[in-house]
Amino acid sequence: MELSQSISFAALGGHFFVGLSRAMILFVVTSGLSLVLGVLRVPNIAHGSLYMIGAFAAYTISRLFGGGSIAFWLALVISPFVVAAVSLVAERLLFQHLYQREHLMLLLFTFALMLILGDLVKLVWGAGEYRSIVPPHLLKGSASIFGSSIPRYNLFLIIVGPLVAVGLWLFTNRTKMGKIARAAAVDREMVGAVGINVSWVFAFAFVLGCFLAGLGGALVAPTISVSLGMDHDIIIEAFLIVTIGGLGNMWGAMVGSLIFGLTQSFGVLFWPQFAIVFPYTAVVIVLLWRPMGMLKSVW
Amino acid sequence: MGKKGKKFLSVGVLLMGGLLCLSLLFMPASAQARNIKVGIIDCYSGPAAVYCNEALNGFKLALKEINKQGVLGRKIEFTTRDTKFKVDLALNMAKELVMRENVDVLAGTINSGAALAVSEAVAKAEKIPLLVWISKSERITGEKGHRYVFSTGENTAMAGKAAGVALSRKPYKKYWIAGDDYEYGHAMADAAWRNLKALRPDVKLIGKSWWKPGEPDLVPYFTAIVAAKAEAVILCTGGRSMANALKTIKAMDLTKKVAPWIHTATEIAVLRSLGPGAPEGVLGTSDYLFYYPDTPENRALANAFKSAYGSPPGFPGFHGYITAKFIAEGFRRAGSLNKEKFIDALEGLKIDSPVGGKLEMRACDHQVVLPIYLGVTKKVPQYNFLISADNITLSGDEVMPSCEEIMKARGKK
Repeated sequence: MELSQSISFAALGGHFFVGLSRAMILFVVTSGLSLVLGVLRVPNIAHGSLYMIGAFAAYTISRLFGGGSIAFWLALVISPFVVAAVSLVAERLLFQHLYQREHLMLLLFTFALMLILGDLVKLVWGAGEYRSIVPPHLLKGSASIFGSSIPRYNLFLIIVGPLVAVGLWLFTNRTKMGKIARAAAVDREMVGAVGINVSWVFAFAFVLGCFLAGLGGALVAPTISVSLGMDHDIIIEAFLIVTIGGLGNMWGAMVGSLIFGLTQSFGVLFWPQFAIVFPYTAVVIVLLWRPMGMLKSVW
Repeated sequence: MGKKGKKFLSVGVLLMGGLLCLSLLFMPASAQARNIKVGIIDCYSGPAAVYCNEALNGFKLALKEINKQGVLGRKIEFTTRDTKFKVDLALNMAKELVMRENVDVLAGTINSGAALAVSEAVAKAEKIPLLVWISKSERITGEKGHRYVFSTGENTAMAGKAAGVALSRKPYKKYWIAGDDYEYGHAMADAAWRNLKALRPDVKLIGKSWWKPGEPDLVPYFTAIVAAKAEAVILCTGGRSMANALKTIKAMDLTKKVAPWIHTATEIAVLRSLGPGAPEGVLGTSDYLFYYPDTPENRALANAFKSAYGSPPGFPGFHGYITAKFIAEGFRRAGSLNKEKFIDALEGLKIDSPVGGKLEMRACDHQVVLPIYLGVTKKVPQYNFLISADNITLSGDEVMPSCEEIMKARGKK
């Protein structure tokens, strides 16, 4: 067991940016999960499957348009809408009949949905090859920051994360639909009593949450191999993040993502042999310190 | 009993007698024609499914050829079970295949942990032959080897020896080891470092890092390696992590700062998916390349595989193919379905290699003797993906531990 001996300022700076970029991907995915948890009270385990569908859809769209830079941008824009369409069908056919059920029932239901969606992905895209998307020319290669080589694409992710956060905040706080969704989260019957179709408000919130899962999948696709199993990888981390951030709190998702991403990155720097345990140790410490999460839980 | 009743009785007796005669006529024939059953346990739904499906395709391709003439007047048939890369599932499914399906032979898996568990708790306990085709832990046929387990693929001892030879010729002195935090990653790391240190005592290990298999974000790990000023890194990864590793190497221009060696980095499954986006200059090793050596036999296998499945095979397809050939030849040589005779027949068995020459199942440890090809990833005009270039062949005898070393390792148990 060896702690890293010499940690330079450059290494600290480099790892900060690397951790930040990972945190932003996690935030895009978990903000959607948090929205669904906060408004609909649904612990959607199938959220990871929608993230995976987003990545697979991005791959297919990128291939359809020739795989170049324009294809990447088109894939990034279109694939979240593909996921939104899938989620709208799921919401209208299944979820809208289950909102009043117990959380355990919803957990089991979304777990089953995760397995079904996983098999559907296997049926549609197959399990015979790894898939890869090439980032656009502008975001290829690396940039030197504090003497550390950081992929340009990771720097792009650092910009996208706050944009999503601000957009989501504006939606929930500055738009009528967002305000109704927040009100419905607190008292569904009261919102219905004033003549608002709560069912469609919930559908919109659900689809928006899933849209963000799809966006996360499309964003991560150029950095990894798009393959089966992506859903399992992300969903545990996503639930840990929304739990330590505060269930259903969007800014909590941001705080949780930062804790998770940065502890993972600095863990590798400080104690590389045992880096895996750092983010999970952070989760344990946060929950011992603040059992309801860092920010106010809406549950 | 009336007249009518007697008539019915006699007709019934006649019918039953006829049926009995028919069944007696056909029963010995059907019993004789019982097919040879192979139970395959592998990962068909998780991230490793790409490799496992290809191994299965190689197995099926060989079976098509084998079943044309048959084995001992029978055909070889198979049934698969999806382990989802989990050791407990692999164990349950292997037991189910033996107990309920009555398979004659077990084959698979990609997960070294699963291979070791099934080898010990099913193959050894139930006395049923297990042919491991992708898992690479050297412990499978080394320290933990026994009469009932065989390996038809290269292992970490062989790849590690090749790594030692390759890296000892390079000027690097400061090394870092990183990889998947499970059996394969650690076994590969131990073997590579052990061999390199033996050949070059002056090299120094300055750090290690481990990530969970399939880790999506390897940038922090590689940033730490660069920050530590390592000159070379021994990357012990595979499957989906391999694709992530190669993408990160490319995105960070890592080859300009640190020299990476990865076993199977030159493997087609990953390089094809990355296309021209894969990094050049990564030192890699593999026990099969569809374009090297360029022999008529290898071209024939590549073409047959391509026409059947759309692309030429990588090492899993090759392993699946030779596994079927070893099973068929093993039973032919044994002359019966008796498992003990089959094992005796497999020991020292030589079959025609699909790349030319012969392949031998070494009797002392049940490990197939395979060469390792050492090369470097490079763009070439013939393909729209990178291949292994500047290849050097290290023969099986050069890279495999001796039988004495194997016996010594087993004696330590």
